[in-house]
Amino acid sequence: MSIEKVIYGYIAHEEDYPDKTEIIQQGSKGDWAFVIIEGEVKVKKKTPKGWLTVDTLRKGDIFGEMAMITKGECLRTASVFANGPVKVGVLDTDRVIKDYESLSPQMRTLLRALVTRLKDSTDQLANLVSRIAG
Amino acid sequence: MVAQIKHVLPPVSRLHYKRGDLIIKQGDYGISIYKIVKGKVRIVRESGGKEVALATLGPGEVIGEMSFFNKSVEPRSASARALTDVEVEVWHPARLTREYEQMPPVIKLIADKMLSRLLKTNALIGKLGAKLEESKAQERPHEAEASGRRFYRKQVDLECSYRPIDAPPKARFPGKIKDISLAGIGMEVNSIGRSSVMHDLGELLHVSTVLPNNKEVEFIAKIVDIRKGRLPGRLFLGMAYVDVSEDARKKLGFFMMP
Repeated sequence: MSIEKVIYGYIAHEEDYPDKTEIIQQGSKGDWAFVIIEGEVKVKKKTPKGWLTVDTLRKGDIFGEMAMITKGECLRTASVFANGPVKVGVLDTDRVIKDYESLSPQMRTLLRALVTRLKDSTDQLANLVSRIAG
Repeated sequence: MVAQIKHVLPPVSRLHYKRGDLIIKQGDYGISIYKIVKGKVRIVRESGGKEVALATLGPGEVIGEMSFFNKSVEPRSASARALTDVEVEVWHPARLTREYEQMPPVIKLIADKMLSRLLKTNALIGKLGAKLEESKAQERPHEAEASGRRFYRKQVDLECSYRPIDAPPKARFPGKIKDISLAGIGMEVNSIGRSSVMHDLGELLHVSTVLPNNKEVEFIAKIVDIRKGRLPGRLFLGMAYVDVSEDARKKLGFFMMP
């Protein structure tokens, strides 16, 4: 997968992380999002049975966008770990939010619904996996 | 120009569903978005004949956004069932589709990425959920089935023709479709001078009609209910779809949009 050109204009700066670094910590606060420039990350959720991987993201994928769209009102829903060395671009929150706010209230409601649905589904997936594993 | 826009934008309409009604059925085509005004709705994914609950939504929340983001090229990815009596506001997607096409590309990209992750996650939940139900089924007795499938019915008055499925295609009897839902139709027929066998419970009929939007559809449906019609010599047949082509499903789905 490649990085969509449009996203380049929104990268405020780039960061490099060594293998296994926790780039985003589940439960923490923050409203910025990342795009993967090089490498791979694992999205993991903390469960009573330990860490569960719910997704693997690659070059061009975006993460942290859920907290961004809800303007940091919702805490980080999962942790994201570098899987091997990874280079990410930090998106310019102010500019993305400005674009977001240019949308109609109905469209914003739709996007927030998408965030909520994704959060619920990810929670449920983690829950199911831990029940099956147990 | 303004008048034209007004013409293509129907006013926001409201619909009422009774407890147990399906508002959206997984696998159907449709692009309407519903905002819950009153009541509770459960989103369920059907997999292997089992229903797995994905979420319960209340007033202020929307349902049906998935097909909208997907431009409905994919059928509905989950069902939505009224948990209580429910009132929804129906958003016609025309204006929103245009806004979506023109919105800042970065937002569109983020939305697309979230959508594909959500679809992937939901598919996994469906699979794992069904697996879990299977293993649990041995441990505890089956729970009673959720309330029957009832659907929003659109009242119509449509000329149609029908024939028993084993009759030659030339055989055609005129009928009138009085309501259409995503599960079947209500059809009024003339019973005088027709073989009574043809209108028996369980009979399969081939039905063809032209929807008010000029789309031709045909399907096979089974007689599941028979009542006397409003006029003497008339029967009202409750019919459930048995065989509906993908194409006919789409046409019906779009026609069913409130």
